Amino acid sequence: MNRRQFVIAAATAALTGTHGHASDGKIIMRDLYNKDLSFSNLALSLEGRSITVKGYMAPPLKADANFFVLTKMPMSVCPFCETEAEWPDDILAVHIKRRLKMMPYNVRIEASGVLELGAETDTRTGFVSRVRLTEARYS
Amino acid sequence: MKTRTVVIFTATLCTTATFAQELPQSNNTWFTEGQAALEAALAKQPNTNRATNVILMISDGNGVGTNYATRLFQGQQSGNFGDEHVLPHEAFPNLALVKTYNVNAQTPDSAGTGTAMMSGIKTKAGVVGVNEKVIRGDCTTIEGNTVASLNEIMSEMGKATGIVSTARITHATPASAYAKSVDRNFEEAVPEDCTQQADIARQLLSAMAAGTIDVAMGGGRRNFLPTDTPDDEQDMGRREDGRNLITEAQHAGVSYAWNDETFAAMPLDGSVPLLGLFQSGHMQYDADRTGEPSLAEMTTAAITALQTAGGDNGFFLQIEAGRVDHANHGGNLARAVRDGVAFAEAVAAADELTDDAHTLIVVTADHEHAIAFNGYCGRGSNILGLCMSIDGEGTKHSGVPELADDERPYTVAGYLNGPGSVLREDMNFSGVRPQIVEDEVTDLDYIQQALIPKSSETHSGEDVAVYAKGPFAHLFDGTIEQNVIFHIIDHAVTAE
Repeated sequence: MNRRQFVIAAATAALTGTHGHASDGKIIMRDLYNKDLSFSNLALSLEGRSITVKGYMAPPLKADANFFVLTKMPMSVCPFCETEAEWPDDILAVHIKRRLKMMPYNVRIEASGVLELGAETDTRTGFVSRVRLTEARYS
Repeated sequence: MKTRTVVIFTATLCTTATFAQELPQSNNTWFTEGQAALEAALAKQPNTNRATNVILMISDGNGVGTNYATRLFQGQQSGNFGDEHVLPHEAFPNLALVKTYNVNAQTPDSAGTGTAMMSGIKTKAGVVGVNEKVIRGDCTTIEGNTVASLNEIMSEMGKATGIVSTARITHATPASAYAKSVDRNFEEAVPEDCTQQADIARQLLSAMAAGTIDVAMGGGRRNFLPTDTPDDEQDMGRREDGRNLITEAQHAGVSYAWNDETFAAMPLDGSVPLLGLFQSGHMQYDADRTGEPSLAEMTTAAITALQTAGGDNGFFLQIEAGRVDHANHGGNLARAVRDGVAFAEAVAAADELTDDAHTLIVVTADHEHAIAFNGYCGRGSNILGLCMSIDGEGTKHSGVPELADDERPYTVAGYLNGPGSVLREDMNFSGVRPQIVEDEVTDLDYIQQALIPKSSETHSGEDVAVYAKGPFAHLFDGTIEQNVIFHIIDHAVTAE
């Protein structure tokens, strides 16, 4: 995620006025950033703690991967918008404890796990994440 | 004809107010406002000046339905019910409905529709600046089948011309201003065996060098940079021919901007061509926008520069709100209407900066989407939210959601197909509608429920509207083929 992409996430949060927990106590991804591109106070306060985040499961990078990418919106492919599939701007890597059970890209899920902040590269896939849930489960 | 009707009709022919007061409803606000609208219509006079300037404003995917959603959204943001709101272009004096199909497609795409508006001929889906004799993707069929665009025609007349888009500037609609391509996707490269045409980005550079395009602003930096070259925001280029078209443009004297700060520093005195590429891909949705100009800001800058560059000869400018379409494709009406509002603000800016006597402004869409609206919703139901039932005791909705036969509420707007389908792949494409509440469905990221499962929601072949003001705007009337838009514009700038 580059600088601009962080800005996108932050701007979205500002415009919609949804800083902090959603009304049902669960978190949506744009809650995790501030306007100045840093992690939000909410994210910092929750680092190392177990949280639940709403989103969608992007088609897994590998069928046997031990993580998947949570996207804020369905990872749809638009032939008239893009000539090839593009990765969303703001994403969350969800490292799971059990074998991955794929979910349709457009079915809303909730992932719970321990929030980790900071860049990390997955050794198997080379996937770089800035925000992760570890020891996660989802439904 | 009943007696009452005759009375009203006769009154209209004489003085509209006198007889109106004889009716029991004559003091009703709706009645008096209706009378005022009638008088305004009777006072309309056609403007038959030759148009010095023409601005063609296209909101991609903003058919009558999507435009309706934007009207209600902006109105509700202003604190009213939404229905009574008037978008800037809806106040224009002239209007027609437009048939948007391509010659081989009942459901059109933006390449074929852009070519229709910009060149006066309908053509196939997926091709730009060429006629229907071409075979999509086959470069050998392009020779002898290219067509001239409004930018090229206006440039020949001595006018300055420009293009502005929130999509990639090489995307279908802006490309229809300058490119001839057998495939809209040849944005940064053509197939190895294609020697008959250049890629679309190169064609833009050539048009700017030739003086056919004086101002180009939008997204799509990656199509102008080599694969090993990062742009100003560290996104890599996509060009495999190694050419850096941005550097080439700068060497040719073009002023280049890539963010809001460099945009603000661009010279708007018409002395040099302007190239603004504000994103690697498409520009951001307006709801997410930061660090780049708005469509209205680009519109203002482009008009300012073109007015000076064109001088007495005037200018032609194509403006596209490219991402209303994309948000619709994603089934995400919340972003579609916010980009719709950004388009409305650009229309207002264009109108403010120009003189109706000599500037023809044409506002339209290239096609509609598979968007639809439920009933029976009471006044003030959030256009993004649940359909609230009608309150027989007042005007505002009851606050109680209408329920479908499955005993669940539903939103005012939905899509016939798209990623919001209620049919789940993991349930053998069966399913039940999810339970929904107002807070959830009015969220910026909400995907409206849809029926048919498709990763990308589709266009539809439904008519769009065209709104116009200025010289020969009165020729926009009835139901017209989309290519007629070109012919009215061309007539307006050449009329004696």
